[in-house]
Amino acid sequence: MRNGWDDERLLAALSEAMKARAAVPSWFIETGKNAFAWHNIDAELAQLTYDSNEDLREAAAMRSETASIRALTFTSEHLTLELEVTGNSLLGQLFPARAGVLEIHSRAGEITTTEVDEIGCFSVDPIPDSPFRLRSRTSDGTHVLTGWITI
Amino acid sequence: MRDDPRVVALVTRASGGDQDAWHELVDRYAALVYTICTRYRLSNHDIEDVGQNVWLLLVEQLGKLREPAALPGWLATTTARECLRVVTAASKTDRLATGLDDSVLFVDDAVIDEELLLAERNAALRAAFAELPPRCQQLLSMLVSDPPHSYTEINAKTGIPVGSIGPQRARCLDRLRRSGSLAALGDGDEKIGIRGGEPDA
Repeated sequence: MRNGWDDERLLAALSEAMKARAAVPSWFIETGKNAFAWHNIDAELAQLTYDSNEDLREAAAMRSETASIRALTFTSEHLTLELEVTGNSLLGQLFPARAGVLEIHSRAGEITTTEVDEIGCFSVDPIPDSPFRLRSRTSDGTHVLTGWITI
Repeated sequence: MRDDPRVVALVTRASGGDQDAWHELVDRYAALVYTICTRYRLSNHDIEDVGQNVWLLLVEQLGKLREPAALPGWLATTTARECLRVVTAASKTDRLATGLDDSVLFVDDAVIDEELLLAERNAALRAAFAELPPRCQQLLSMLVSDPPHSYTEINAKTGIPVGSIGPQRARCLDRLRRSGSLAALGDGDEKIGIRGGEPDA
């Protein structure tokens, strides 16, 4: 079944394919390759269910007064993570309350940890200045991972 | 055209933890994700944000994709959704204040579909090219470079006699056309390659 493209058309299409690939910046490809570090990470994903910035934007558009505290809520099947920016630190609490360890993951792949006390409270200090995500490892074995956070 | 066994194999391997397979998937489809971002006229910062989210979502979905062969379509849809999220969030304030029509933010589904078809074709062509013997890759690279090399320049760089370049070009393109990677693109109205063809040994 010899119904392929002729030489000129095939060469033009190949040229276009090469140009499309060359137009992609190398940092963009690196970002994609690095994402594999998250493969098979043992955690439930928590979705962002509240962000005070959303309220703030609408309030700003309406020219109304608004509270200036940044608050975020992440919810997974078994755990809710509430976060609030207070001064230079980020305070948070897990619901239902349980003790454990909270990991702070940077985009570069660095991980720092902070303790979660028995009423589920923790603080991240200082607040990372680049996007990060949090993974809680609680004593009962519930591991929950948030999406990327930018404060 | 959605059942390229090579893509299915890459997804299966990556889902089993094979990092090389993941890198190959990213290499293959980064242009698709990137082009859709540029259609939404995002800044580099937002493009990085969208890219990050799309690839992370894919990492999480790898083992759950019901039809791995539908991956390009999944990527296109997910990228478009993430781009829309970024532009909507960024312009919410302006829009409410100016009463600007929402529709300026949207990129037509037909445009995304078009980019998807083109990206699949491009990815298949690059995969087919990568299967060619080095001498064919070298010759075709010179012919598709911008601007293309003249036969005299090709002769100077490769030593291929000017009179042999034409016939070699034809042979290399024929190999490209017979590649199994292009055979997977056979369901459209027009066929680039020869269906069922495999590259010569």
